[in-house]
Amino acid sequence: MLLATLLIPVVAALAVAAAPADQARRIAGAGSLAFFGATLILGAMFDWSRSAEFQMASWFALSAGEGGVTVGLAVDGVSTMLILLTGLLAPLCVFGSFTAVSDRPRTFFAWLIALQAPMAGVFMARDIITFYFCFEFTLIPMFVLIALFGSSNRRAASVKFFLYTFTGSMMTLAGLVYIVWFNATRLAPDGAGAGAWTFAIDTLMRASRSMSGSEQAWVLLAMMAGFAVKTPLFPVHTWLPLAHTEAPTAGSVVLAGVLLKLGTYGLYRFVLPFVPEAVVAWAPLIGVICVIGILYAGLICWVQRDVKKLVAYSSVSHLGFCVLGLFALNAVGSAGSVLYMINHGLSTGALFFCIGMIYERYHTRSMQELGGLAARMPVWAFFMVFFTLSSVGLPGLNGFIGEIMCLMGAFQSGATWGVGGTSGPLGPWFGGVAATGMIVSAIYLLYMVGKVVFGPLKEPHGHGGAHGHGHGHAKDAGAHGALPVDLSKREIAVLTPLAALCLVLGLYPVIALRPLEAPVAANLAAVEAVRSVVAPAEALAGVEAEGAGR
Amino acid sequence: MDLATLAQGGLLHQATLTHYLFVSAAMFAIGMIGFLTRRNLIIMFLCTELMFQAAGLAFIAFGRHHLNFSGDVFVIFVLTIAAAEAALALALVVYLFRRKETLDASEWAELRG
Amino acid sequence: MDAIATILPTFLAAEPAGAHAPGAQVGSGPPWAILIPLLPLLASALCGVCAMLRVKSKAPAFIVVAMLGASFLATAAVWLQGGGPGPMAGASVAHGWDWIQFAWGDGPGQALIANFSLYLDSLTLLWMLFVTGLATLIALYASEYMSHDVGQGYNRFFAYFALFVFAMSCLVMGDNLLMLFLGWEGVGLCSYLLIGYFYKKPSAVAAAKKAFIVNRIGDLGLVLGVFTTFVTFGTIEYAPLFEMVGAGVDGSGHALHGSWQATWIPIFFMIGAFGKSAQLPLYVWLPDAMEGPTPVSALIHAATMVTAGVYLIARMYPIFLLDDAHTALTIVAWTGALTALLAATIGMAQFDIKRIMAYSTVSQLGYMFAGLGVLTTTGAAFHVFTHAFFKATLFLCCGAVMHGFAGQLDLRKLSGVAFMKGWGVVGVAMLVGCLNLAGFPFTAGYFSKDMILAETFVTPGSVIGGASMVGWILLLTAGLTAYYTFRVFFRVFVGPQMYEPGEEHGHAPHRHDHGPGHPPGHGEHDLADARDQAQKDEPGGAHPHGHDFHPHAPGLAINAVLAILAVASVLAALTYFIHKPDHGWVGAMVHHSTAHFGGLDAHHGDEAAHASHGSFLGLDPHKAMYYVSAVIGMVGIFVAWLLHYRGRTGAAVAPADRLLGALGPIPRWAQQKWFVDELYDFVIVKPLWALSNVFHVIDKLIVDGLVNLAGLTPRGLGAGLRPSQNGLLHSYAAGMAGGIVFILLVVWAVS
Repeated sequence: MLLATLLIPVVAALAVAAAPADQARRIAGAGSLAFFGATLILGAMFDWSRSAEFQMASWFALSAGEGGVTVGLAVDGVSTMLILLTGLLAPLCVFGSFTAVSDRPRTFFAWLIALQAPMAGVFMARDIITFYFCFEFTLIPMFVLIALFGSSNRRAASVKFFLYTFTGSMMTLAGLVYIVWFNATRLAPDGAGAGAWTFAIDTLMRASRSMSGSEQAWVLLAMMAGFAVKTPLFPVHTWLPLAHTEAPTAGSVVLAGVLLKLGTYGLYRFVLPFVPEAVVAWAPLIGVICVIGILYAGLICWVQRDVKKLVAYSSVSHLGFCVLGLFALNAVGSAGSVLYMINHGLSTGALFFCIGMIYERYHTRSMQELGGLAARMPVWAFFMVFFTLSSVGLPGLNGFIGEIMCLMGAFQSGATWGVGGTSGPLGPWFGGVAATGMIVSAIYLLYMVGKVVFGPLKEPHGHGGAHGHGHGHAKDAGAHGALPVDLSKREIAVLTPLAALCLVLGLYPVIALRPLEAPVAANLAAVEAVRSVVAPAEALAGVEAEGAGR
Repeated sequence: MDLATLAQGGLLHQATLTHYLFVSAAMFAIGMIGFLTRRNLIIMFLCTELMFQAAGLAFIAFGRHHLNFSGDVFVIFVLTIAAAEAALALALVVYLFRRKETLDASEWAELRG
Repeated sequence: MDAIATILPTFLAAEPAGAHAPGAQVGSGPPWAILIPLLPLLASALCGVCAMLRVKSKAPAFIVVAMLGASFLATAAVWLQGGGPGPMAGASVAHGWDWIQFAWGDGPGQALIANFSLYLDSLTLLWMLFVTGLATLIALYASEYMSHDVGQGYNRFFAYFALFVFAMSCLVMGDNLLMLFLGWEGVGLCSYLLIGYFYKKPSAVAAAKKAFIVNRIGDLGLVLGVFTTFVTFGTIEYAPLFEMVGAGVDGSGHALHGSWQATWIPIFFMIGAFGKSAQLPLYVWLPDAMEGPTPVSALIHAATMVTAGVYLIARMYPIFLLDDAHTALTIVAWTGALTALLAATIGMAQFDIKRIMAYSTVSQLGYMFAGLGVLTTTGAAFHVFTHAFFKATLFLCCGAVMHGFAGQLDLRKLSGVAFMKGWGVVGVAMLVGCLNLAGFPFTAGYFSKDMILAETFVTPGSVIGGASMVGWILLLTAGLTAYYTFRVFFRVFVGPQMYEPGEEHGHAPHRHDHGPGHPPGHGEHDLADARDQAQKDEPGGAHPHGHDFHPHAPGLAINAVLAILAVASVLAALTYFIHKPDHGWVGAMVHHSTAHFGGLDAHHGDEAAHASHGSFLGLDPHKAMYYVSAVIGMVGIFVAWLLHYRGRTGAAVAPADRLLGALGPIPRWAQQKWFVDELYDFVIVKPLWALSNVFHVIDKLIVDGLVNLAGLTPRGLGAGLRPSQNGLLHSYAAGMAGGIVFILLVVWAVS
């Protein structure tokens, strides 16, 4: 089932590439729907009552014989949720780009569909070869999408995107390779994988936990290098605003919706359970970085003039909450973090759609040229405000649950003075200071909405006016003809599922929270075990001593 | 020593591996110096051929020394390649000459970084 | 006064079956109570459907009025079923659906549970009764007031309006702090949307943004309070929470008295309350919120939403009382008093009658907070209750004036409105509202304000530091309140009849389509009125001056609502005489909820405790205050009469103007709101903006610069090595030869 899910986008991409250009949209649409269908079936087949277990496992031997390389796929509750998010965004991206891309549609749609396979593959991987292959392979389609279909500065943006994330993940690779080497050479064979060359995540997870404190710290650093760049965490975030501003709409949606989640997923799946000792020791530092990033990126958002860049920077700020929750090292924080990944994918993805719809009509995203569009496009304004509020973390919409749980996780982490606290490396100060990010996010997002959606109507020269019906730019709108002044039915159909999901997850988050209880607890088991042995401060002192001894 | 003994390999029998290698090294050095000092493409090409033959001589000498045919096999192989290469190289030289009416190698620096 | 109590029908006076005792079991309430929040939500959704179908009739107004009325009836039904018409006995929880549930262990405090459930006790119902009741009436009023927007913003307006009632019900009825937070932010959102209803006006958009952001600052306090509460008690559900607080222990059974949590949890909640209820230093958003349509100002920014802070503190009162030093309550008392005074001084100097009402709201909220601070939740809640009615009346009267005079709100340009044809109801309602606000004897406002004033002198200074000083400030403010209230009344509603229509009149015909180069409205006017005038006047008739202008007297719906509200404002006074031992019906409702139990408030009727009362100049404050506040109120009214009515011949000038010269620049400063907005702008907004710009530059130059520098390193290395690739065959050959020689030398050296 998992392999079939992965193959659908590959086959669809080949079909799009082989088909005549005027059929590309249709085939891509069908392929993406098939992929979404497959993920839905996957979600239905998954036994949610055992969401901590990895289900539907399938292993393939790449090379036969003794010491052969075996790769495997399986999903747990967290992976399944993220795969569902990937599946949902795929058709929306395709249908959302129907009119936006008129030049070389085959290339565009083929790569867009092809991108889905490695993204889903990352969430399914149960060995580090599959994981790393998929993790890196996402770069190529994204690179093509930005480099060929982006805005004016696309070349620089695509190169920076590629090299920056690639450099980071090379270090991650080094860390992973070290674990493989450690497992094969430093451990006594136990018949369960130790002492042999294996790439299975479960085996390596056990092995890496027996590394010394300083080894763990180095591996943590190596892994963080790749995952933090991908997330992106302050201060390694600067590729993101550039990539987002230059990427085509669908590219931005996938980038914000799923690609960034590969980084946080990596942190969740690899860093926390692999090197628990180092995580416990270094979490306060990472927490400080997150808090700085939340406020720093949030304030930068405020002075942006380009709407898309503003939302891009807001991703940096928002994912700071996500990582903060993760490094609270408690269940609430972790679950909040996973929810945040999904919620951010929904609301920020939708915001990029909204901005793309404006860009398609006005060919600008500058807040100085646009204003008061609610008067011209009330339906669009509704969605824009809706998703902005979701992004601000308004209770009753999806963003709130993730945000409040991340903050609460950070707050109770280490708050051992109360019965509701948990052991952990952060504490009330982290939660409290990060919570000021709520104010900052309200400032910049409402500032943006106040400028673009509300206020006196302002349209770029040559558009609008008393008789403006948006026909002036219809010629380059593609084969599907002129776009209406307000959203077309297709565009509404793209945004509605996202809005509905935002509401459902906001008003009935229990459906996502209950299945998260078990997998989150399982993922934190290693950290808990470490913490019950050494107090964080001692562990940190130990790492420093060993580091100095080198 | 008369010619007959010479012909029967007397002197040659007295020539040791060292002599052959000395000749080979000398040929190679002459070829290399020529290659480095001359600017004329044809001369330079001839110099490379000279270095080639020096290597071939060394091969034969070693083959003889070890009493097997590996060296001979190599030389025959190399000669075949060299023949093809010579044809190609001379054709290129002719082509280059047609372009600039000169055989001076320093006139060509298109691959400057 | 006790005689009046005996005359009153006594059917409301039934004692509840059993008082709510600390730690009492919380039963399960009627499941259909969930309809109270859901009906408005449904109404909002239906209005959304109307908007989608582009309905061009008053249908959404009817839907909303019907649904809100049903919601009010449901509230009343819950109340009656739970032991009404008096206070309900105890509390019950009506479960709606599971909202947030996340467990990481089986022990106490190892699960985060916040269900969509309702906590039903008499405090909740007290609030819900006036919220849903007033919302229904004001929706009815708005159906006429907003009629110019039919087919345009009408659907949107009523969708937001109903959504507000939903959020407010969640806030008041939620059985846990996160659901309260849901409502808290929800009302903030609706306030944002409704203030920005005329979204083409930059001032409205700015005011909406300001309201949301300033509220968010308060929300930060609330969030921290929720977190600390959870960590301390291991739960955020009221029922178990109040049980623990009643016993004075935290979630693990340790005593809380003297702990830092007992001090800080109340302080966090207090910050949240200050934001929502517009107290110092977070009051600045409320006056600007008057950009919204007047029914919104009446409902949200006067009667209901702004009292959410009072509700929060009253609801969490047991936690506030845990702190033996009463740190938070002392701050609350002083902040309330200072806010009351500051807002009153600003209100005295304003000319826009709607803004005067806004500042008076801030000021009256200050009274409520002072009441909470000096340990009289009863007084605070009673003032909330009476204020809801009379302030809604006042706002709706101002709205009627605004509606009728093309957006005119300047008290220098209107006079004698009450005597114009068709304005009688408005005039009477306004008089009732003003008497209440001024604290005229035997009005509802008089009794409720009086209760707070008396308690400030009763509460010993050893419990709440400077309580009597708070009382003196509030007494002074009471005089100022009476003055500025009647300044409006004497200037606008009585005296010679004259008027000047508002700006919307002349501009009206242009209002229908703004081109990009045609900046829409500026200043204080309602687009609704503009459209109205465009329709009422002859098509295309632009009237640069008011010669042809005829005031548009209010219609049936507005007059009916005003009449009902005026009557309700009067009747609210009667509730003071029911349940006399509990200080009135509101007091009884409060006393039978968590806002009362275990508190110092219990000293009433206790003779031994009475001895330790503070006094008012040697008199018993409870008795003396009736007379003192009556005199102060009447003096204020008399001064207003002297300065703004006696001998006034025109609208623009009044005897008061002669005084202005003597006061120097002070009135001008007060009119400029003591430059608080400018101060905030200078101290907070500008530096933050500058900091953001600095960060932006740092991000570009340093953070990204370092990355680009790292990218430049290989490029620089390449540039350095580039000359070696000169393309000349000879140099390559020489390099090769040199390399061979080098290798040979190395080999030779090694061997």
